[in-house]
Amino acid sequence: MEEVDKILIHALKQIGTDVSEEISSINQFSSELIVKAVVRCIQVINPGLGSPLPSSLPPAMSARFRVGMSLAQACQELGYKGEIGYQTFLYSSELEIRSLLMFLVEKLPRESSEASDQPTGKSVVLQRAIAAAIKAQLSVPWLPMNCRLPLHTETQSAGPLHSFHTLPLSLPYSSTGLGDKYEKEEKEYQRDFLLPVTAQISHQPSMVASILEHHTTVLSAVQQWDNEWNSQGLLSRLTPQEYRARKMARLRKRIKEQLRSNAHPSPEGSFRSSHSSNDLSEVLQMFKSPSSSDHILTKGTHFTHTQKFTFEQEPAAVTSPVPTGRQSDGDVQQRQQAEIESLQQQLQQLCTEIEQLTTDMKHMSVTHTQVLNEIKQKELMNKETEDKIQVKKKTLDFLPDSDNSLQKLQAQVEASAARLVNLASQWEKHRAPLIEEHRRLKEKCSNQELESSRKLSEIKSMQEKIRVATEEARKKEDIHKQLVTQLENLPKDVSRSAYTQRILEIVSNIKKQKEEINKILSDTRELQKEINSLTGKLDRTFAVTDELVFKDAKKDESVRKSYKYLAALHDNCNQLIQTIEETGTILREIRDLEEQIETENSNKTVANLERILEDYKAIRQENSVLAAKIKEG
Amino acid sequence: MELSECVQRGLQALAEPSSVDQSGFQVLVDATFRSLLSAHADSGVLDLPELKQVDQILLKQIHTATTTFILEVVKHNSDKSTISSCLEDLSFSTDRIEIFYTAYQVHVKLRYDQSPFFFSFCSIGRQAPHINDVSWRLEYHMKNAHVNKVNEPCYLISLNTEKEGSSEDVSFTCTVEQLQDLVGKLKDAAKSVERAGQI
Repeated sequence: MEEVDKILIHALKQIGTDVSEEISSINQFSSELIVKAVVRCIQVINPGLGSPLPSSLPPAMSARFRVGMSLAQACQELGYKGEIGYQTFLYSSELEIRSLLMFLVEKLPRESSEASDQPTGKSVVLQRAIAAAIKAQLSVPWLPMNCRLPLHTETQSAGPLHSFHTLPLSLPYSSTGLGDKYEKEEKEYQRDFLLPVTAQISHQPSMVASILEHHTTVLSAVQQWDNEWNSQGLLSRLTPQEYRARKMARLRKRIKEQLRSNAHPSPEGSFRSSHSSNDLSEVLQMFKSPSSSDHILTKGTHFTHTQKFTFEQEPAAVTSPVPTGRQSDGDVQQRQQAEIESLQQQLQQLCTEIEQLTTDMKHMSVTHTQVLNEIKQKELMNKETEDKIQVKKKTLDFLPDSDNSLQKLQAQVEASAARLVNLASQWEKHRAPLIEEHRRLKEKCSNQELESSRKLSEIKSMQEKIRVATEEARKKEDIHKQLVTQLENLPKDVSRSAYTQRILEIVSNIKKQKEEINKILSDTRELQKEINSLTGKLDRTFAVTDELVFKDAKKDESVRKSYKYLAALHDNCNQLIQTIEETGTILREIRDLEEQIETENSNKTVANLERILEDYKAIRQENSVLAAKIKEG
Repeated sequence: MELSECVQRGLQALAEPSSVDQSGFQVLVDATFRSLLSAHADSGVLDLPELKQVDQILLKQIHTATTTFILEVVKHNSDKSTISSCLEDLSFSTDRIEIFYTAYQVHVKLRYDQSPFFFSFCSIGRQAPHINDVSWRLEYHMKNAHVNKVNEPCYLISLNTEKEGSSEDVSFTCTVEQLQDLVGKLKDAAKSVERAGQI
């Protein structure tokens, strides 16, 4: 109970109730303190309800009664479900006050739980840092130039003095692992003649700027390559070097085509150059990675938007008054115009001539190809006729010796046919295992493809997991840092660990008690079962013995006596059992009554009754005084 | 704070006792800070007797890596815990971290607290001139040669601005509406800055 009281007193002190230091439990609360505490709570919870309530108990009895009633009503409006009336405040009992105060303290609005649920993303942290820096700068007061301290240099005096200007640096390459890739002369240069980085640029701001820029370029190149490799490179299933080589070849080809198409002189003269630069810039746009950062700076405030709109019209207005032309420049301009026209005419002529020549050239080349084709065809025909002539000549030679040569020819034909059959069978023999090999290798290839695609998906999922895990780890670290700083900022007057320990102790105690109760219940049930079974047995045995003895009792005198003893024994035992049961119930009643006595004792009824009597007498006095006043006036 | 691979390699080489021993480490760190902060480009900054036994190419790589690291630290304005954790990840031993951090404090932090102008070479950026003072004059245009009755007020405003120590006057004239517009825009800007500081 003391912890509850301590928490209540602490909460009341936090909202502004004036509780003195010695009061440490609800028991010691006087009626005034109770009224003050309740009024303050109601004011904090609901200022509208709390404003008409007085903050302390007035001395007059009727006023006190009224205040009590209004407080009770306010508490009921807030939703307190217990019995409440003026008596809770004027003639208080500890339990009622405790429950009422607990209800009110729980209803107090919570302020501190909102600040801890903020997201901890990188951009949020950056924004918070920016906001803090702006706040710090705003808080520095403006001083005239002669009074300025170094504190003001950033925002009020000179400010940055140098513009960001970078120059190329030459850095020594790493020698680990690449070994002999770099020439001996290059290594000698790096060792003996290459200046250290800080000495390569004599203008210090440029040196700083160049070093920072080089570092950032390297970092961003690595990041871009990572992004591209993870998105497109893995899909192409090439090694990194092959992927890079292929990409470079592709880019070179494109640039070559673009330059070639723009290098041809075009008939429209100067207008084409702006066109081609547009195409070139489009081609360069295509080279950019798909996740371009165009949309970072599109969000602007109201201020920047209005600035954009109002200043767009001004340059137009500014440029129009300029070309009014003065008298002395007119001639020069006219002459220049005439020159331009003549030159353009010449250019036009040359262009038309060139066009003609190109069309002639095309014609010629077309006829040239045609003629070549004809020649080829004629040559083919020539060859065919020559072959025919040869065959005819040979047959003519064979004619005189016709029979012999016919036989020879037939024999040759048969021999070549036999050879053909032989070769065909050999080829068949050779073909079969080769086909087998072919099939086997194809299967292996497809299996490998399956394997590689499976491994690819595994790699992807692993990368996802890695990314998710690192993000979570980072998030948890940030949250941890934030919570640690928050923990340090929390007020230290109430020790939470003591409460949590008590709560855990109580929970374990309750668990133990529950177990014990369960045990006792099971014991009781078992006992009850035993009692039931025993009574049953007893009844049965008694009935059996009764019958037996009764049967024999008719004949024998001693058996009759023993029967009477048996009956008496049975009755007496029954009575014993009954008395024991009654004693048990009476003991239980005694315990209940004792508990009731205790609760009644804590109600301080006697003291309250005395106070009520006194108050009643005071009210009667006031009533008579008021009646006398009315009679007089 | 992210570091590129060459910088990481250079710093790891710096941390290894086999490539740079203890006396060489101290001398090298001091020399790096001095080379970064001196106004003249001193090409002999690494010609020190204690560093003769270190391979020259490796020495230059370490020097580049350390200079980049120092500049990144200054750029992010990191505190001791960030620097120590960064160097620990690159396998620096604790006493080497201590030596580095004391050198950083001596050369950079304390000097900055004493006189920020020492680091004017590091202030890179652009800024518009600051407005220090305003003088204004109100004119009333009554007549001119073409129109008999004009009756218009007109402001002549001269802003005393200051840029890099030299002050300059920016003067212009404007009507009442234009001046109201300007004041409205200034108030808008002030509110935007306040709102940005409150997030």
